[in-house]
Amino acid sequence: MITAGIDIGSITAKAALIKDGELAGTRLDFTGYNAPKAGRRVLDDLLEKTGIKKQEVDFIISTGYGRNSVDFADKSITEITCHGAGARFIDPGVCFVIDVGGQDSKVIKLSRDGKVVDFAMNDKCAAGTGRFLEVMARALESDLDEFGELSARADVPAAISSICTVFAESEVISLISKGESRENMIAGIHESVASRISAMAKRLGVTGPVMMTGGVAKNSGAVRALENKLGVSIRVSPHAQLTGAMGAALLAARMEQSA
Amino acid sequence: MSDNEKKHDPDTKQQKIKAVSRMKEIMTNYYIEAKSAREQGRKVAWITSGGPVEPLIAMDVIPVYPENHGAMIGASKMGGQLCEKAEEMGYSRDLCSYARADIADAVYKQGPIGGLPEPDMLVCCNNICGTVLKWYETAARYFDVPLFILDTPFVHREFSQEAQNYVLSQIHEYVGFLEDCCGRKMDYVRMEEVGRFSVEGTRLWQEVLDTCAHKPAPMTAFDAFFHLALIVTLRGTQETVDYYKQLLDELKERIRRKIAMVPNEKYRLLWDNLPVWYRTRWLSDKFASHGAALVADTYTSAWSGMVPDMQGRSFLEAMAETYTKVYINISIDMMFDIVAGMIKKYDVDGVVMHSNRSCKPYSLGQYDLRRMIMDRLGVPTLIIEADMVDERSFSESQINTRIDAFMETLKA
Amino acid sequence: MGRYRAGKGRALKNSRRHRLREFQMNPEDRFYSACLDPSGYARGLKQRTCGKILGYFCSYAPVELIHAAGLHPFRILGGKGEIRLADAHLQSYCCSLVRSGLEAALNGSLDFLDGAVFPHTCDSIQRLSDIWRLNAGFEHHFDVVLPVKLNTLSARRYMAEVLNGFRKELEQAFQVEITDEALWRAIRDYNVIREKLESLYGLRSFNPSLFDPSAVHRITAAAMFMEPGAFLKDISEYLGNVEPGVLGGTGSGRKRLVLSGGICSHPDIYDLLARAGADVVWDDLCTGTRWFEEKAEEDGRDPIGALADRYMARSVCPAKHADVRARAGELADTVRRHRADGVVFLMLKFCDPHAFDYPYLKRFLDEAGIASLLLETEDHPPAEGQLMTRFETFVDML
Repeated sequence: MITAGIDIGSITAKAALIKDGELAGTRLDFTGYNAPKAGRRVLDDLLEKTGIKKQEVDFIISTGYGRNSVDFADKSITEITCHGAGARFIDPGVCFVIDVGGQDSKVIKLSRDGKVVDFAMNDKCAAGTGRFLEVMARALESDLDEFGELSARADVPAAISSICTVFAESEVISLISKGESRENMIAGIHESVASRISAMAKRLGVTGPVMMTGGVAKNSGAVRALENKLGVSIRVSPHAQLTGAMGAALLAARMEQSA
Repeated sequence: MSDNEKKHDPDTKQQKIKAVSRMKEIMTNYYIEAKSAREQGRKVAWITSGGPVEPLIAMDVIPVYPENHGAMIGASKMGGQLCEKAEEMGYSRDLCSYARADIADAVYKQGPIGGLPEPDMLVCCNNICGTVLKWYETAARYFDVPLFILDTPFVHREFSQEAQNYVLSQIHEYVGFLEDCCGRKMDYVRMEEVGRFSVEGTRLWQEVLDTCAHKPAPMTAFDAFFHLALIVTLRGTQETVDYYKQLLDELKERIRRKIAMVPNEKYRLLWDNLPVWYRTRWLSDKFASHGAALVADTYTSAWSGMVPDMQGRSFLEAMAETYTKVYINISIDMMFDIVAGMIKKYDVDGVVMHSNRSCKPYSLGQYDLRRMIMDRLGVPTLIIEADMVDERSFSESQINTRIDAFMETLKA
Repeated sequence: MGRYRAGKGRALKNSRRHRLREFQMNPEDRFYSACLDPSGYARGLKQRTCGKILGYFCSYAPVELIHAAGLHPFRILGGKGEIRLADAHLQSYCCSLVRSGLEAALNGSLDFLDGAVFPHTCDSIQRLSDIWRLNAGFEHHFDVVLPVKLNTLSARRYMAEVLNGFRKELEQAFQVEITDEALWRAIRDYNVIREKLESLYGLRSFNPSLFDPSAVHRITAAAMFMEPGAFLKDISEYLGNVEPGVLGGTGSGRKRLVLSGGICSHPDIYDLLARAGADVVWDDLCTGTRWFEEKAEEDGRDPIGALADRYMARSVCPAKHADVRARAGELADTVRRHRADGVVFLMLKFCDPHAFDYPYLKRFLDEAGIASLLLETEDHPPAEGQLMTRFETFVDML
């Protein structure tokens, strides 16, 4: 049995194929302005890459912001449920998932059998999301990809107290003029993001092994800061932002099986 | 006048108010006493800052002020982290930061004094806000202790006879509540004595504030924020009366010797709303660098407004009116009358309003108040956006620019 | 998705909408039109009757007294338009109800009002009253400073005195006499309205598929905009046409929800929840049950006392004080009574009283094994995509 998961996010579109319980391949592309097209493209590319034919795919589940625009999907499920399922697939011990993406951050609590029992999402504010990091990277004229490595070299993380992204940006700019090191500032920025996310996580009550998914999971500095705030070690999904698509493919397999 | 003298004065220590050390001593003893109440077999009541403390003192109950504690948390720059804890507990970050910091501290005991002594009873007077009602309900559930609410109807245009009767009957209910909690009767002779101390302490506090009408001012609002603690927490005691006499003598002496708190005082400003507790030093230096002294404020004077008009009534009866008509429990136009009086009395050149995210009853309406002050009195008014305890809502660069620009307009 | 049935008369309404004049409209059309454009309704009413209209924000506004004075009480639920004028009076940390209400008063959208009445509600409404009185320029302004405590005898006595004071103020301001007879009539009118709304809610709880997802919300809101007599006539006719049918909900796989919070001015929320597979079966909202639950006594002795007693008895708004644990227990009971699967909290951003209660309500529900979802709202609801993600996940979770 072959099933597919397609996750249309605000920035990237992801696809995953699962064949007989094993991950057969993944693909990531930019969403662009045409979400339905992005979904089709990312799946076609993945099929080509894996040599699987479209008619061999038994069930397709779409997820993410653009989940309802994927007209060829058999069903759509929210990314919260899918990230939960994907994290469980990667690591069956996981009970708590933190997904931090471009414009959203979510915390998801799973029951012992892998069901979502509670969750929370950020409000309209960008603090605690990937967008916050992007804004700060721009202010620091740094590459976001180096953030993790640079913050590891910080001696004392700079205090960034403002919650508001706009105020925090001006705080960072004034720190630059005061000659604060780039490493310390980046570490401070990670702490700020971690504070917002950990508050949300603690509201639900963090229980059991935690996994981080989403694009920001690739940033080792943010993960470290979050570990410190939560006082637990975090398993990083090796597939970061692909976790949702994998979860969707997995749920598709379960549905196909029980059908 | 004193400019030259000040410049030549080698002793910068002279600048400091000496009574400060006595004040610290009293407050330290007070908190030690409160923290060891259990060992002394005494009861502890948590009470709001505008609440009637006098009956507690008459009943030998130790009053503890979560709001004063909130200010301490702010001044210790621990507000942000405690507020964050409260947010983890599910409290919205838009709620009052005193309440958030205190609720978190009650659970985690991570504040500057390792948590307040736990209450045997709660006394909440809503003359300062509706927030205290919700905050004390939270405490009543958490500590599972009795809660008394003194409901003081807001005065939009007049303090009606019906409202007076209602507050007065609650004052009697309050005494009954205390008698139940303490298991003994109120000693009304003692009550009147406490009342006399309260009235005298309050009058002295007003006199202390009045010294700032002198030019140059012997202290500023930033000092008043500090010396306020006693009139809030220990109003109605001999100790408080004695302390304010000492402070008053010292301030009079400063006036005699022409010692100004802000050397080269050129501009006299009035502060509105609660202090920004974690930035008092920064703000004080900032204004002083422009030769500006904050000679009065609407916050610390709210307690001097509590001198009851006795009219031959008992203290408890007079109290009903006093507590209902405090500065923040009245309409914007009534607030304007008081501010206008202060602007005149202290000969103020400009007003600085702290738009305080934490305090809606104090802050909503400031834009209108500002317009009234500017249009009717022609006094320039600045608004700065901040929060009293949560330093995460403070943008230094933005406030810096605003103050500089405001001072430029005053100087122009 | 989208499996819910269209409500009675809805399809009919759509097909005929353009050629119907008002007198040909059916009750449901009239509810919907009042709801879509409350100001338009009020202007029409004023034109027809030359009567006076008094606005109010809070569910503790004594509508019976206003009605008995021959005035029309009109609930202000805020607007959705752009805020231009109110920002000159209110900081960013003020809730959208107060902000949009003031905007409407300043920009002329409420020009049909002869005045407004402000019962004491919360810190923000308290200051709104001042700002409104100083800036909005209506002829009449009333502050009804009700007690905050609702559980003592002295508060009950004061409540009656304040209501009596308001009665006198109304008499003076509008040169009318509010007789006991008129007041009893008003009390009866509103009691019947409340009874009808309760039946409506009961029918929905019995079988949610009888109605459009947002129909009950709209009808309840219409009760706060429409002239009481007209509403009464329409609601009676409307209910007479509803055939309860069989018990709905069970076996349909759809989830049953209770909404809890302050005001809800987003009918879309009901539709989106329906799309996600859940029906709202009851609420604890200021624009819902808290407005109509509990009737005033009609024993003919003391009408003001009857009004005061009703306020003391009805389920408490978090800005008031009764038993500190009452709200959580009542909410859990409501969930059980209506066999609901979960609760959605609608929190108006910057609404302190509700935000203070939320952690304990949530914990109480958790301990009772009742799932809940928190949704922070402003004048505009969160983006539909985000909302659907939350709703679908929540419904899946149940």
